[in-house]
Amino acid sequence: MSRDKSKNTTQVLIWDLPTRIFHWSLAMSFTIAWLTFDDNRYLYVHVFSGYTFFGLLLFRLLWGIVGSQYSRFRTFAYDWPSVFAYLKGLLNGQAARHVGHNPAGSWAIFLMLTLGVVISITGILVLGGEEGHGILADIVPYTIGEAAKQPHILTAWIMLAVTGIHITGVIIESLYHKENLILSMITGRKEGKKSQSATKHKPLGFIILTVIVISGLVYFKGYLTETKDQPYLPFIGSALPDNETWRSECSDCHLAYHPVLLPARSWRELLHTQNEHFDEDLGLDAETIAEIENFLMENASESKLNEPARKINASTPADKTPLRIIETAYWLKKHKKIKPLYWKDERVGSKGNCEACHLDAKQGTFEDSAMRLPKLLKK
Amino acid sequence: MKKLWFIMFISIANFIGPVSLANEINNQLKTYQAQGAGEFSASRGEKMWHKNYPDPKKSDKQRNCGVCHTDNLKSKGKHARTGKVIPPLAPSVNSERFSDKKFIEKWFKRNCKWVVGRECTAQEKGDFLVYLRDK
Repeated sequence: MSRDKSKNTTQVLIWDLPTRIFHWSLAMSFTIAWLTFDDNRYLYVHVFSGYTFFGLLLFRLLWGIVGSQYSRFRTFAYDWPSVFAYLKGLLNGQAARHVGHNPAGSWAIFLMLTLGVVISITGILVLGGEEGHGILADIVPYTIGEAAKQPHILTAWIMLAVTGIHITGVIIESLYHKENLILSMITGRKEGKKSQSATKHKPLGFIILTVIVISGLVYFKGYLTETKDQPYLPFIGSALPDNETWRSECSDCHLAYHPVLLPARSWRELLHTQNEHFDEDLGLDAETIAEIENFLMENASESKLNEPARKINASTPADKTPLRIIETAYWLKKHKKIKPLYWKDERVGSKGNCEACHLDAKQGTFEDSAMRLPKLLKK
Repeated sequence: MKKLWFIMFISIANFIGPVSLANEINNQLKTYQAQGAGEFSASRGEKMWHKNYPDPKKSDKQRNCGVCHTDNLKSKGKHARTGKVIPPLAPSVNSERFSDKKFIEKWFKRNCKWVVGRECTAQEKGDFLVYLRDK
């Protein structure tokens, strides 16, 4: 159509190396974040891809000001009439070819950059507030973390939709102007005049790649040195309160379930019926009972010491006194997707055997990423 | 001279170790006798260990010590309900066994009530300790 096919055109560099690395790393980190958001076991990976995503965005915002020609924002800051004219041109066959971003594409890019920043900030708020981890841990209150969750999810969905539009646009544009734009984003080259060539910035590109790789190694290094007996537990924050009498008495027959896992009224009931504790007479003396009760009352789920405490506390109706953790609404919700085969596995044995999958069950922290489903044995 | 001290140390340590353990059992036996128990019998203890008692919850099932501890005193057991591993009972493979009075009484009370349906008598507890002592 309007493509310049004259002899003085050649393959010239349009997208410098840093921009290309940014593009594909951003796409990859976004994809990984999507694949890991639903399964809490991969939260650690999700968070790493989120940090990478945010870091890349910050770089791109800077590069939009100081980068090479076609990467600078002002070279593709088109106004709405230009976008409208371009889209109209596509329909009547008069859309001009742009060596850099076309007006419609540029708007998608600005939109994605903005959404990306919102996703990153809300993500860090959720991580800091709800999980108590990350760069804003202990700074963001729980309620703010909780409030940021829906916006985080919503903007991620919008981002996915805009990414879809972006990819569709790239395909349409590629067909329309008969050039492979995807390949251009890999090689950086497009057909143009020699005078149009952008600066390479190769060293910076390699520096970015190196920074990503080194950050990854530092972030995941715990997994490299873990052993079977000492698995790496990411996100282990401050320890929950402990008590010697409680731990020794309550771990006689089963895991010492941390007080945060049930409301105070449940613990009280369990202690007062200790002479018929699930068909056993524990035979605890009054002094021991008093000490354990003290510890349980102080740290029961009402204490909101961690996420399970808050969720169990909030999801248990005031008129219910569950005597088993596995009867709480939160437990049921969280374990809904666990296949029955796991419960039947001999390494699990019973639903009360939290340790079979939660590597930090003893500590009571129940971090999302300390969860490892055992590989099911084939019969 | 140094060598001699070393040998003496080792022999004394070897001697005191088992004795102190046996003492805790012997102390318990004395306590049971003070509570009115007669002569203790290892074979009575063994018989009780293997005896089946009716399960109050399930009429078709029976309870015995082996439900959790297995029939072999030297092997690890497993809590019948929770599956938690229980260290072996025999002092020969588990030297920590029967070294704490409070511990002995706590588990006699808990487990007699579950298996037998009542607390064990001083005589029964003594018989059992005598049976287990040399295992």
